[in-house]
Amino acid sequence: MSCTHACQTGAPKIADYFSKNIYTWCTNCGNYGIHGALKRALVAQKIPPCKAVLCFDIGCNGNGSDKIDGYRFHGLHGRIISFASGVAVANSNLMVVASAGDGATFGEGIGHLIHGIRGNYNITFLFHNNLNYGLTKGQASPTTKPGTGMNSSPDGINSEPVHPMRLVLALNPTFAARSFSGDVKHLDHVLQRAMLHRGFSFVEILQSCPTYNKQTPHEWYQERVFDVGSLENYDASSLTSAMQVSADLEEKVAVGVLYQDKSRRPFIENQANRMEYTTTVVEEVLPFDIAELANTFR
Amino acid sequence: MKQTPLTTNRLQRLVIKAAGESGQGVNSVGEVFAKSIKESGLYTFGYREYPSLIKGGWASHQIDISSTPINSSSSHCDILMCLSRVSVKAYMTTVRPGGTIVHAIPKLFFTEEEKTFLEQNQIAVKHVPAAKIAIETGGMSVMANTVLVGVVWRMMGLELKPVEAVIASTFAKKPDVIEPNVACLRAGHTFDIGEFQLKGPVFTFDPTLESTMLITGNHALSLGAVAAGVRVFYAYPMTPSSSILSYLASIYHKTGMVVKQIEDEITVAQMGLGSMFAGTRALVATSGGGFDLMTETVSLSGMTETPFVCILAQRPGPATGLPTWTSASDLNIAVYAGHGEYTRLVVAGSDLSSCYTLIQKAFNFAEKYQIPVIVLTEKQIAESLFQLRDFPKDEPIERHFVPEQERSALVSSDRFALTESGVSKRWAPDMAEATYDANSDEHLEDGSLTEDAEPSQAMYEKRLRKANTLKMELPEPEFYGLKDAVMTFVGWGSVKHAVIDALALWNTERPDMTCNYLHYEYLWPLRTDTFKELIAQNQPMVLIEQNAFGQLGALLTQETGYMFKEKLLKYDGRPFFVEDLIGFLEERSSS
Repeated sequence: MSCTHACQTGAPKIADYFSKNIYTWCTNCGNYGIHGALKRALVAQKIPPCKAVLCFDIGCNGNGSDKIDGYRFHGLHGRIISFASGVAVANSNLMVVASAGDGATFGEGIGHLIHGIRGNYNITFLFHNNLNYGLTKGQASPTTKPGTGMNSSPDGINSEPVHPMRLVLALNPTFAARSFSGDVKHLDHVLQRAMLHRGFSFVEILQSCPTYNKQTPHEWYQERVFDVGSLENYDASSLTSAMQVSADLEEKVAVGVLYQDKSRRPFIENQANRMEYTTTVVEEVLPFDIAELANTFR
Repeated sequence: MKQTPLTTNRLQRLVIKAAGESGQGVNSVGEVFAKSIKESGLYTFGYREYPSLIKGGWASHQIDISSTPINSSSSHCDILMCLSRVSVKAYMTTVRPGGTIVHAIPKLFFTEEEKTFLEQNQIAVKHVPAAKIAIETGGMSVMANTVLVGVVWRMMGLELKPVEAVIASTFAKKPDVIEPNVACLRAGHTFDIGEFQLKGPVFTFDPTLESTMLITGNHALSLGAVAAGVRVFYAYPMTPSSSILSYLASIYHKTGMVVKQIEDEITVAQMGLGSMFAGTRALVATSGGGFDLMTETVSLSGMTETPFVCILAQRPGPATGLPTWTSASDLNIAVYAGHGEYTRLVVAGSDLSSCYTLIQKAFNFAEKYQIPVIVLTEKQIAESLFQLRDFPKDEPIERHFVPEQERSALVSSDRFALTESGVSKRWAPDMAEATYDANSDEHLEDGSLTEDAEPSQAMYEKRLRKANTLKMELPEPEFYGLKDAVMTFVGWGSVKHAVIDALALWNTERPDMTCNYLHYEYLWPLRTDTFKELIAQNQPMVLIEQNAFGQLGALLTQETGYMFKEKLLKYDGRPFFVEDLIGFLEERSSS
């Protein structure tokens, strides 16, 4: 039942992901780089738009749902991980990518993140971390640094910020990476590794917000990031290494694939009752004779 | 609601109630009774009451027995079989005058008030040293329940063979306990409890009933879902929907269904919607509190035109309410759930056949109209034991995807194209080269975001037009009982059973005062042609609902302007008993 058209026969091109809709983000928004890297990664992985399901949460990133091609779903605030997980459960032939910001991921929908990682649903999750709520005009988010005056908290927030990677690594994920919206090439590379990973791929994207985040602009990150690949003998299969290297968010900020466990299978391949199945549940919607089951009640 | 007992002869039923503490095996005893009655060639209906506790309190499983089909309970029993002291006290007032209490409690005392009650109602109390008998017979003390079953079975004057067969099949996985249980059953059966009276009806046995099914509404819904091609089930446990989750999990090696207990109902709904978006059939189930959490997703389903099917098994609210009791008070939330205005379908099951068929139809409608469909049940339907020969014929699975040969011609703007019916073409990811954006923001025909007035209004109206198209396809409510009746009950859900069972008695006794019943299975959009005919004929109508607001009545008023002058509403967590209806009709006819 798959699409058998031109898109499947030739290698996909960046232009295939073109949308006629005009971007509505601020000048220099980190989302431009993220969209660019996402397209490059999809094309490099030879995913045509008809096999890509791009799921967007609410926020500035979600406003980009119609500025890229692919099958897209623009959902509700905080819920996109669960929605995307449902897509991945149903059809493992799809490349399922979900995007959400720091408010959605660590505020409104933190439970979905935790259980999405536990379930190891086969999705690539792009965590847009720009340290504020942009679309609602610059309120504090769970990752806003203390003491930063924000819309609705003029004297700064007085709650401890969430350290996203520390929390994610504590959940024993199967894939955790970090990148930076200002380095499209690096992000492209990390996203490709995430897409290749079978399971829940958590990718934190340190994102600039030129309008509301004056503290950590593009240049701030540029000066601080380093790829863990540059470290001698960095062991990405060690959770301890990942925790240590990812701890610092102020001076030396580690990016790249911080942690990966290739031994665990994604959710849908881990169903005790479906080990013999080679089809997806999308293909299995067929009449089922329940006579034998009903007879157990006679 | 207080009921006046009817005689067994008027009811043509014999009623056995097994009662004890929660955790004492009361439900299993009830099931053994019900199955044995079926195996004996009679009709039965099993009604459970239990507290929201793992152990303690009191619980009961009442088995009504008849020569004709029954789907409701009597408020009073002929034999109350008690395993615990508390249950004797809790249920003694539900014993019919002239009935018997059989119990296994040593040194059971009654207060003066209780003694007077027993005396006035000529209720005999019989003690059976069941645990002692069980041990003497070579069994264990837990087999006291089986001893009591034997005692009661003898009182009923029925043959023991069917019970032995049921015990053998019940313990098929623990063969070493079959023999001692059968021995305990026989010991109970030969135990002399002395004089007692049992004025049961004379039964007519039908040996073909042996092969009928004895099954709950939740099991019927589950099997209907399997037949509908549902391949994914997500749920968070919540009474009275939980047994759908446990049953589907118990058969998942046979069905291959993905059955996943999820961390919360918000996720349940979102994953369900995601799987439906991908093009499979995914089902979710919950009760009122869980449904509250799902409502934003119901709204999202309406906006993105992604099909969604949810079973909402009702229990009394608000908040935690009466978690293990029955109600039909969530019609309003089913009809109004979720912010914004959009098309949805709300249906309500009542018995095994309707549950089995409705869940299949729910998916066909959800996919045809690309809307949320809410399938309402009640604890009374979800967990009661109904008897049925066979399920209705399976509904054809209608996916309503664009046919494969037409997919290459699709363009993105087909997906949400503004059509007269309101329904646009649907295809899932990977089915065609033409992609789209299923956008929770207001959008254009290809899903691209818009905030412009004209296209926003056009898309809004397109989604609402689906309700008119859908309504034309829905059936009118169905009449039960005589065509010519001096009064018509109007209701939905489980009330159907008590009404039908009571009218079978009433219409025979009072041919001058015959009544019938108009049953709504499709609740929203609401069909009112039949109802309006009744209004035009000035037919007296009584609204009967398992809630306090008269929620269907309010919807009918909203749609037709008709105001119900008479309402029979029950909201104490108990279902309508036959006596509730007969009492109402008697009072009504004498006033």
